[in-house]
Amino acid sequence: MNCQRFETVVSELARGQMMAAEQRTEALAHSDACDDCAARLGDEQMLTLGLQSLASEMESLEAPREIEGKLLEAFRAREVVVPITKRQSNTRYWFAAIAAMLLIAISVVVFRWSNRPADEPRQAKQEQPQPKLEVTNKSNEQLVQTVEKPSADYLLPQRWKPKRIRPVSLRRPNNAAVANHVTKEIATDFIPLSYMSPASLQEGGQIIRVQVPRSALANFGLLVNMDRYNEKVKADVLYGVDGMARAIRFVQ
Amino acid sequence: MKLKSDVNDNDLLRLMLAGDEDALSALYRRRQGSVYRFALQMSGSRSIAEDVTQEVFLFLMREGHVFDDSKGTVGAFLLGVARVHVRRRLRAEHRLAPLGDDSDDDDLFMQSATDVCPLEDLTRAETIESVRKAVLSLPPKYREVVVLCELQDVSYGETAEILGCAIGTVRSRLHRGRALLLAKLRPAEEVEETGAATVKSARCFA
Repeated sequence: MNCQRFETVVSELARGQMMAAEQRTEALAHSDACDDCAARLGDEQMLTLGLQSLASEMESLEAPREIEGKLLEAFRAREVVVPITKRQSNTRYWFAAIAAMLLIAISVVVFRWSNRPADEPRQAKQEQPQPKLEVTNKSNEQLVQTVEKPSADYLLPQRWKPKRIRPVSLRRPNNAAVANHVTKEIATDFIPLSYMSPASLQEGGQIIRVQVPRSALANFGLLVNMDRYNEKVKADVLYGVDGMARAIRFVQ
Repeated sequence: MKLKSDVNDNDLLRLMLAGDEDALSALYRRRQGSVYRFALQMSGSRSIAEDVTQEVFLFLMREGHVFDDSKGTVGAFLLGVARVHVRRRLRAEHRLAPLGDDSDDDDLFMQSATDVCPLEDLTRAETIESVRKAVLSLPPKYREVVVLCELQDVSYGETAEILGCAIGTVRSRLHRGRALLLAKLRPAEEVEETGAATVKSARCFA
């Protein structure tokens, strides 16, 4: 053991605290060999003796007796406060929890009851026959659509749509006619323009409604009724974020 | 009252909180000594020690239900409350202390003990008085550890509970406190003569 390690145990050694026998033996051996550490141990032992003398001197000291009398008077004068036991506090929490659950259950029942009249007509409407949509897929991607005219009460008010949309063609099979139940319009899928790859449609963009000559249908391989050759048809042109036209669909 | 001497502190506290006056009396007689001595050794003032003792047991009457026996003993709980009250009183006394010499008869605060050499040649009474003054001159955080571990003979574990710190902290504070005590009790002339020894001690105690 060196002086530095001796310093860490000298207090315990002087106070007679429990320590490992081997450590104690080494410390005592070191103090025998080192005069400085022996003096250090002597000081610590003297300090311990002084503190023990002080402790024994004060051991008999007690608080004055009148304090006990004052405390007993205060004890008698105090209001009797029954300590709140854990059981009572738990019961209180249970009552609060049950009340909260009842409140929630009542709220749910009231909410459902108030919404029931509104739901019933909607369910009745849903049971009405849906507009029949027949799609015939012919060769060369020709499209023939026959649509029954929907009843007027089936129509819902048109809502505002965000301009940035995801092309429908990515989610639906190719060449399938799309029945737009909201606006009673029937549209083809978006047809990518020849110079754009279909993958570019995933970027989204802006749709602009235009009118094009019916003869333009032939450019995309669609049948053209020659009797109405001069009429115009509606079309939605999908513009990309770069302003380039990406795809087109025809609307009826 | 005789029956109460067999009842442990926890049961006495429970009975007291239920309104048993004898339980309060028994608990007070059992624990007032250590509380009073702790407050006296920490403050050096009998009046503060008396006030603190009274306040501790009044607190026990009002707030005794906060005691949790899983965290320690009633004795340690009382000493912890006493520590808080002593510190509060010492701060108040420090703020209100006049600048001049106000040494009171029962005020043991606090003179330098370096003008005597109690470790070698003074009588026992003088030594005790010097040690008492040296203890009182310690900074509070070292003083309370020295008082609890050396004078009240409280274990490291209980001291840690009372102070709300780790046992290692108690050990280190006790070591440092004893080193400060030795430095205060060492005679002044010895310190002046052996400057090198002072440096060495300072390095060791740091």
